[in-house]
Amino acid sequence: MGIYEISLATVVGINVILALGLNMISGFCGQISLGHAAFYGIGAYTAALLAKTGVPIWLTIAAGMISAGVAGLVVGLASLRVRHDFLAITTMGVGFLFLGIVRQQELLGGELGISGIPSAGLGKIGYLVVVLVIALLSAAFSLWIKRSWMGFAFDAVADDEDTARGLTVDVGAYKLAAFAMGTAMAGVAGGLYTFFARFLMPDDFGFITSITVLSMVAVGGIGSVFGVIAATIILTLMPEFFRFISDYKLLVYGTLLFAVMRFAPEGLAGFTRGLLARIREKQPAGETTE
Amino acid sequence: MLHLELLIQGLIHGSMYAVIAVGLTLVYGLLRILHVAHAGLFALGGYLGLLITNTTTSLPLGMMGSAIIVGGCGMLIYRLCYQPILDRPPYVALIASIGLFIAMEEIFRLVFGPYGLTYSNPPLQSQVTLMGIHLRAAEIGMVISALLLLGMLSYLSQHTRIGIAWRATVDDPDIAKSFGIDTIKVRYLNFFIGSALAAIAGVFISLLSNLVEPTMGGVPSYKALAIIVLGGLGNVTGTLIASLLLGVVEAFGTIYIGSFLDRDAIAFAFLIVILMIRPQGLFAGK
Amino acid sequence: MSALLEVSGVTVRFGGVTALEAVSFTVGEGEFLCLIGPNGAGKTTLMRAATGIIKPDAGRIKLAGSDISRRPTHLRARMGLALTHQIVRPFRSMTVLDNVALAAGHRRLHHIFKAMGSVNRSAERLQARKYLELVGIEAVADKSVVGQPLGVAKRLEVARALALEPKILLLDEPLAGLNSVEAARLADTITAINRNGLTVVMIEHNLGEVLRVSQRLTVLDNGRLIADGLPVEVMRNPAVRAAYVGKESQHAAA
Repeated sequence: MGIYEISLATVVGINVILALGLNMISGFCGQISLGHAAFYGIGAYTAALLAKTGVPIWLTIAAGMISAGVAGLVVGLASLRVRHDFLAITTMGVGFLFLGIVRQQELLGGELGISGIPSAGLGKIGYLVVVLVIALLSAAFSLWIKRSWMGFAFDAVADDEDTARGLTVDVGAYKLAAFAMGTAMAGVAGGLYTFFARFLMPDDFGFITSITVLSMVAVGGIGSVFGVIAATIILTLMPEFFRFISDYKLLVYGTLLFAVMRFAPEGLAGFTRGLLARIREKQPAGETTE
Repeated sequence: MLHLELLIQGLIHGSMYAVIAVGLTLVYGLLRILHVAHAGLFALGGYLGLLITNTTTSLPLGMMGSAIIVGGCGMLIYRLCYQPILDRPPYVALIASIGLFIAMEEIFRLVFGPYGLTYSNPPLQSQVTLMGIHLRAAEIGMVISALLLLGMLSYLSQHTRIGIAWRATVDDPDIAKSFGIDTIKVRYLNFFIGSALAAIAGVFISLLSNLVEPTMGGVPSYKALAIIVLGGLGNVTGTLIASLLLGVVEAFGTIYIGSFLDRDAIAFAFLIVILMIRPQGLFAGK
Repeated sequence: MSALLEVSGVTVRFGGVTALEAVSFTVGEGEFLCLIGPNGAGKTTLMRAATGIIKPDAGRIKLAGSDISRRPTHLRARMGLALTHQIVRPFRSMTVLDNVALAAGHRRLHHIFKAMGSVNRSAERLQARKYLELVGIEAVADKSVVGQPLGVAKRLEVARALALEPKILLLDEPLAGLNSVEAARLADTITAINRNGLTVVMIEHNLGEVLRVSQRLTVLDNGRLIADGLPVEVMRNPAVRAAYVGKESQHAAA
């Protein structure tokens, strides 16, 4: 595997963690967030700044996870107060707010970003392995949550909040939990990105990134762990396959987003489910649960 | 003096935001969709206005032509993109709209080039001095058009049959239908008007900076999204007030807290602060 | 018989309309109370005020002696108050069985970290099946709720509420939309459950079934409580007859 392929695989791994985090918030618990990149950024910047003062690498990533999770709690608390129609725009606002603050502060690198981030010292392949292991753990964690009673509660909250309340579910607490867990995962992704890229720029954590991650979740099928992983891999690698027409890649990307939502809104997961159902047509099928 | 100038500048930008945001709030009020692709129509309006003006050397023709064509495009977008997915959960329309917007930006870049286009003979550039403040004719034109257009819209919605039909459809589509109102026609009209307004805003912005470029739709539209939340989703008057308020807050904010927060973030900081104090927005309901 | 639910002076206003005006009554443990009244009398509003979906402008509500007027809905549910809705709201993303299993396992949901830690749903699913059998829809247990006929959906709503093992069950028109056989069966099931000790308050228009099963009638009209007592006596009450007949003649004239 050449350096290029290793880098690509590392980016895929980081994106998977990021997307699974958003899947927790939006997919499992139904809260559409347009500002996920801000928490990615909080994790990345926290790790970078701490590392430059000499804190051990893995500690900085943990710190990134915690700071992103705490920020998620705060935003989650705030979002509980507003109507869910507003949530999308409020989270978008949080994203712009994060960027706005970071761009203006010299301490945070300002417009030019942060450079000179120390290396993790594992070499490219070693780092890739760590990233992939954490990605796998994120997937396992997501699947566990989904099958647990917490996931059961999330299903109810995403489906019908008021009815869930009538069935003893503390809707606010669950939404907060989803938010904090999802943003913490974004923070981990951010920390991992920091030592991969070793150079952070505010634009890496802007609205376009938030939308990119949301697309991975939507194309994969909101709520489906395997779907989101598949979509993340495809969407991350796609610009590389299209390199020979790289000039058109964003156009293809936008059109793909639109086409999937317009013609197959349940994403890859829904599409696969439909396919499997048709194959199983002969048997008296019940609903298969993931 | 500085304060007055800031106020005027704020109101000028605010009036532009208003013309963009009204189209967004019209769509949300009717269909509960966040029509992000509106940003693309805004940019398209700027491009068409510039091209027509350059070819025909007539700005009025450029504006009208742009408004009509973009209005038509808006209707097309409703028919091809939104109508088929109205029964799906709201994130579907939102993400479809975002995909459409990205594709539109890219088409502009590929067709017209990444660096944008300029006017061969930029109109309305003459300086005017009002109360000691220097303004360009284009800025004054924008405010006047905003007032005229929005005033017309308000009049139409209150005093014409189609306007009343629109308001009835927004309030309760089923009852409106049972009264014989053609809700489909109302929707098409809705998109036409909102998109035409966006086009006109796009032309004015291009006059101010003598430039149209592929990404020009982004930032004003994100702010417009914040504005329609503040103004009360679907509330046209509230949106107008919120737009002007935002323009002024931005103008003063850039001076006083610009070292802490960059200009574009001020709009959202304002939004978040207001929502924390009044979670239903500044003007809830219609 | 101790008081389980006490409603005192509850008033609810929506804008200029007074939906409920100083309504007061008490439900004793083990009672089977039917709440009746013409359309728009405020019956559903009263139920929603009891569960906390609506906040009254005045008055107090007590459950088993504790004042729950300020408590959020999910806590009232934990205290044993269950409500089925007039317009049924099953979880469309789940199967019929899982809708009830969620309710059956509600104690696992009370603490977030505990909920995160438990994965096993089999015990609750088993229990859920029993509730489905009770209302007669166990045949569709593994099917999605999407596409189920109204009769099934309404009974699912009741099964789900029962699975909470509440102290008091509020039912908002559980028989509406059911054919006469299904309605009679469900009414009998509810009666049997009540005989086993569950306190029931039921809103119903189906006066035939109401008079057949209830021991006590409470009548609302225009937001006010106008009668409360034994069914036979209440139905003889001239104010009650006027309320119903008045509405009928209004409809006839319209």
